[in-house]
Amino acid sequence: MTNGSAPSLLEVHGASLGYGGVPVLRDLSLRVERGQRVAICGPNGAGKTTLFRGLLGSLAPSEGSVERATSRFGYLPQSERLDPLFPLTALELVLQGAISRLSGWRAFSPEDVATAEELLGSLGLGGKGATLLSELSGGQRQRALLARALISSPEVLLLDEPTSGVDKAAAQAVFERVDTLTRERGLAALTVTHHYEQLAGHVDEVWWVSNGKVEVLEAEGFDPAPLLGRGLSDQSTGAAF
Amino acid sequence: MSFSQAWEFFHWSILAIMVAGVTLPVIGVWLFVRRTSFHGLALPQFAASGVAFGFLLLPWFVAQGFFGGLSLESVAADTHSALNYHLSFAALGTFVGLSLLIVVGDRLGTEGARVAAAFAVASAITILCAHRSPLGEIFVHGILTGESLVVGRHEFETLAVVLLGGLGVLVWWHQDLLLASADPEMAQVLGRPLRRIELMFVIVTGMSVSVGTMSVGPMMLFGLLVLPPMGARPFARSMRGLLWKSAGLGGLGSLLGLVAAFRIDLPPAPCVVAASAVCAVPGWLAAGWRSKPRTV
Repeated sequence: MTNGSAPSLLEVHGASLGYGGVPVLRDLSLRVERGQRVAICGPNGAGKTTLFRGLLGSLAPSEGSVERATSRFGYLPQSERLDPLFPLTALELVLQGAISRLSGWRAFSPEDVATAEELLGSLGLGGKGATLLSELSGGQRQRALLARALISSPEVLLLDEPTSGVDKAAAQAVFERVDTLTRERGLAALTVTHHYEQLAGHVDEVWWVSNGKVEVLEAEGFDPAPLLGRGLSDQSTGAAF
Repeated sequence: MSFSQAWEFFHWSILAIMVAGVTLPVIGVWLFVRRTSFHGLALPQFAASGVAFGFLLLPWFVAQGFFGGLSLESVAADTHSALNYHLSFAALGTFVGLSLLIVVGDRLGTEGARVAAAFAVASAITILCAHRSPLGEIFVHGILTGESLVVGRHEFETLAVVLLGGLGVLVWWHQDLLLASADPEMAQVLGRPLRRIELMFVIVTGMSVSVGTMSVGPMMLFGLLVLPPMGARPFARSMRGLLWKSAGLGGLGSLLGLVAAFRIDLPPAPCVVAASAVCAVPGWLAAGWRSKPRTV
């Protein structure tokens, strides 16, 4: 699916990522193109989140560089990360994604509100705009978060464990929507996951994170089980890692 | 004493308590949803320790001629000079406390333990410093026990400017503060100035706590920061709803507390806190009822 001549949306050149001067991942060279779908997988503690944060821009590389050809990033966090103490409605949540378009009076325009409502509707949450997030199911919250990520018309979508805390059908609904967007709008999607089996068929490339390195693998025929055997020795599960 | 008589004598104090009653719960909402309400307990105590420390140093400042050759008694009697001096030290204490809590971060124990330790240390400093300054002991005792009826015009104006100004800043930055508080990673992805937003919140909180401690005392300050948001949360259907309801509950609690204080002749601060607690009871009952497991 990758095309060497197409302009990259994201390029990582010889980057080292870590914390407090201690690198977790070294000498990374990766690229993401328009319409590409990538799964970021690997054993627990291997550095998937570190890589993800490096790509997001919340962690600066200690060596090398992460070049972004676009500033239009969408981010889908784990739905459990939303603190229920915040009395946020689904509409308030989605509008957060349009924060850079706040008017001079720091209010959202009627167009943005209409777009947010449309997005909620298109994701099966029509009429749920005034519902508190704490009153939505895990799958509905995930879709509201997807709407928030999409309202800024991103070119790169980063999904952090989208299957976490939601049932299989809800996760599939999110992946199918992302597939449509990659096909129709050329959106690039990068997904960190512990459950590759749910993502199989929805990705073109797998970035296998292990032992401080990232290996780029073709998604077709990808099987994480043997890789887990040479990953962390304490991994005992099969596809879930 | 009737309320109209009280108004005649104490209108600046009443106005100060009402402004604090409506604005402090709004800051309290942010502390509450960010799970840092305990800061509202420790910071006023740090402000009080700053004031007590200031009293300890006051004779030295007077001797150095910082007050234009005025005597210690004159400085203490001059409302403007004294207030500005105490406010500076309240702010110093608050920002030292805030800096300590931020610098220590999550590296030492739990959040509750850190704040409890900070509260204990700040209380000890307050008592020790006040004990070494007879003038300070009377003043600090007054603010700690909630004798909030000595607010003058200048004190009220300072309180109103700081609290209403802080409220304006929070309203203006509402969306950014909400995103930075609820999902800092998303805020970073969207290129929001996360550090600037956090700094803005720290300054608004610090200034409000400093001025509030000097005017209405730490007890009322902490009560108004914590009780109204807790009482309003179970009924809130949006973030804006929570802010409005908290401000409303704080205003109601302050009004009822003041009426009770004048009618029964009690110190206003404990009355306002008790009235705010009564106003918050329906919310606590609703929260308790909702969290009970229900059988069909």
